[in-house]
Amino acid sequence: MTDKMILDVSGLKKSFGKVEALKDVNLQLHGGEVLGFIGPNGAGKSTTIRVILGLIKESGGSATVFDEDAWKDSVKIHKDLAYVPGDVYLWPNLTGGQTIDMMLHMSGQKHTAKTDQLISEFKLDTSKKNRTYSKGNRQKVALIAAFSTDVDLYIFDEPTSGLDPLNELIFQQRVAELKAHGKSVLLSSHILSEVEKMCDTISIIREGKVIETGSLESMQHLTRNVVAITTASPMDGLDKAKGIHQLNFKNDQHTIAEFTVDSDEIGAVMDLLTQSTIVQLKTTPPTLEDLFLRYYHSDESQKVGE
Amino acid sequence: MAQYTQTLTLLKANLKRDWLKITIWLAALVGVFVAVAAKFEGIYGTSRQIAAIGSTLRSKAMVALIGSVPDGRLTTALIFASEMAVFWGLFIIIFNYSLAVSASRGQEESGLVEMVLGGHPVGRLAPLMAAALELLIANGLFALITGLGTMIANMPGSDTNGTWLSAVAIAAVGWAFGMIALIFSQLVADSHNVSMYNYAFLGIAYLIRMMADVSNPDYTWLSPLGWLEKTEIYTHNNWWPVVMLLVLGILAFLVAVVLNSNRDIDAGVIHVNPGSRKSNFLRGPATLLFWNQKVLTVFWIIGMAVLGASYGSVFDSISKIFNTSPTIQKVLGQSGVQHIEQTQVLSFVGLLGIIFSLLAVIAGVMIVNHLITEERHGYLQMVMTKPQSRSYLLTVYIVFGLILAAVLLLVALMSAMAVGNVVMTHPIAFKYFWRTFVANLPSIVLFMALMVGLVGLYPRLRTMVWAYLGVSFLITYFGSLMNLPKWALKISPFYWTKKVPVDAINTTPLMWMLVVAVILIVIGFVGYKNRDLEG
Repeated sequence: MTDKMILDVSGLKKSFGKVEALKDVNLQLHGGEVLGFIGPNGAGKSTTIRVILGLIKESGGSATVFDEDAWKDSVKIHKDLAYVPGDVYLWPNLTGGQTIDMMLHMSGQKHTAKTDQLISEFKLDTSKKNRTYSKGNRQKVALIAAFSTDVDLYIFDEPTSGLDPLNELIFQQRVAELKAHGKSVLLSSHILSEVEKMCDTISIIREGKVIETGSLESMQHLTRNVVAITTASPMDGLDKAKGIHQLNFKNDQHTIAEFTVDSDEIGAVMDLLTQSTIVQLKTTPPTLEDLFLRYYHSDESQKVGE
Repeated sequence: MAQYTQTLTLLKANLKRDWLKITIWLAALVGVFVAVAAKFEGIYGTSRQIAAIGSTLRSKAMVALIGSVPDGRLTTALIFASEMAVFWGLFIIIFNYSLAVSASRGQEESGLVEMVLGGHPVGRLAPLMAAALELLIANGLFALITGLGTMIANMPGSDTNGTWLSAVAIAAVGWAFGMIALIFSQLVADSHNVSMYNYAFLGIAYLIRMMADVSNPDYTWLSPLGWLEKTEIYTHNNWWPVVMLLVLGILAFLVAVVLNSNRDIDAGVIHVNPGSRKSNFLRGPATLLFWNQKVLTVFWIIGMAVLGASYGSVFDSISKIFNTSPTIQKVLGQSGVQHIEQTQVLSFVGLLGIIFSLLAVIAGVMIVNHLITEERHGYLQMVMTKPQSRSYLLTVYIVFGLILAAVLLLVALMSAMAVGNVVMTHPIAFKYFWRTFVANLPSIVLFMALMVGLVGLYPRLRTMVWAYLGVSFLITYFGSLMNLPKWALKISPFYWTKKVPVDAINTTPLMWMLVVAVILIVIGFVGYKNRDLEG
């Protein structure tokens, strides 16, 4: 990851008539970074991406890619960018192979050995007409074209929504490869495990606003680990310890318990627990899901960590 | 009958979805028809007026365009029936095509059929049956309202039997062609191709009718469209063609049913062959547009060449003056007769120029319209995120559309000239055809420019182009027949070139058209560069 700013979106607003689709979107993507952009359906992920791509014009704020204006300099920007939309629609009369080649040509690229390798990896029959492809296969066409394009920035909008787990894995490997080559990736998703596996940084969008940005680790302090524990002697004083929530003893001796603990209090709690001699311990790290659900269900006024 | 389970439920859903479309079409089709009928007596009430229009309608040129006129004494009602039958048949067929395609292949494409058949206790053939019934209802309504309206118009020379016959016959031809459209819906797997097959079929039916009418009317029976003329409305009132149309419709439906039962959902009887895995040709928007349009372009060019040739083949009959009595020939002299003959053909060439331009405009405007269809279908997001500017994209579509339109007009005129000069003793010089070509270009550019302006500013109002084109054509075609005021005639761009090639081109109005066109195109570019992309 470098300090070079690839993508900079600040205070972005977009209205469609009276509907405010984006209210305040801030995103930053640096060189060599993989940025996960998550939020529920309708939160504004695709709208943000469409502004970044210069397909629609912002109503306020700014979006720059490679320090160029996303709307005005779109042609220049697109020379160094590959994009896979969430819903891929392709000209029905072209074959998959023709489509891939054409998209490569349009970006000034060539059909290389890597393209062939990707085709066989994703197991796509490129002789078929686009009209006969399923959603997943159309997505593969766009993914193959994007991955065999050698550019600096890759934008994927919910790229795996039509792929089976095997192809999803190939996708993840390919993103990892891009990252290893110092490429920048913007990946939007509502599938949280996907983002969790691949991304360095995560931005969460909800109702047109980016409400949280940071690394997964930095967000984890805001969440709680789930702990299941069995001890030799009763766990006294646990109910009074700081940072413990939802404590539930499973037996009368108070030697089996389940609770959640604030991530930043886990050290102190562990000290307390060792006094009771730990027999068995299982902790589950917070998933993005937990984090996400709290935003999703919380009211506007409620802040994370409360 | 289990195959047809829930047909009525589907029918209700179809009607609920299409009621506005049906209402608008019916209002337009019935409204104009009845309005013309009501106004007709005022225009062709006297025997002098009837005689004048009668000789025009009996000319080969008019017979070629709208069908034959019965021999013997003409009445207001007879003129009305001969003028309207084939013409309205065409319109109602277009209406039926639109309904039939969206109710059959269109629904399947959108995934609706799969949902309905797969997840609900609905018979396999129910969607097809519902489509057929929907068309039956729409055409039945047309026949009923038109019949009543024309009864009220009560033209001199009309009779109850004939009035109802004309209404029912026009509806029947619409329904029968709609049922044939259902066959094509089974053959190919996408609605675009279904429409292409439909219009190719209609074009062939029209051409057969036209060639038969001018050469030997017995052959008119070969075209279902020609059966309309064989009803002999207000003379013999022959109901047999109506029966034949209904039988044809039922047979077509049965064929569609058999084809439907033997194919998979979302597939066509004609399979899509796998194609090439690679492409070096496709490099950007221009080559892509060419690739996507190549088949349609070839169809257009062949179609226009055939149309031009078939009109050319009647030049000789058109040149013959009606009263070629020896006395008149003596008075005019050999060269005089020849001059009048030539003028007659030339004014026909002028009329052809307008008809060909109309078709060329349709082809060209459809190309520019593709830019919006591709935007709506989401194809453009793949192109617009490549280093291609919007101006370039729009330019590609405009240039392709303009070239196509110009080529089509030229092909049709040249093919009319080639065939016409073979059949005529005194050939018509190339310069007249070229003059017609040049005179019509500004109109074509103007319609295209209007489309470009709307594509950039208000894509939703695109249908205005078709409305303006339709109005312009009707004004030019019916304007003088309907005694429209002069200012109304001037609305049509075609009005300004109507006298070409008999007269020289009047450049001033054409220059103005081009100026307006350039302004519209500039507006289109600015709008297109500054608006959000849909889809």
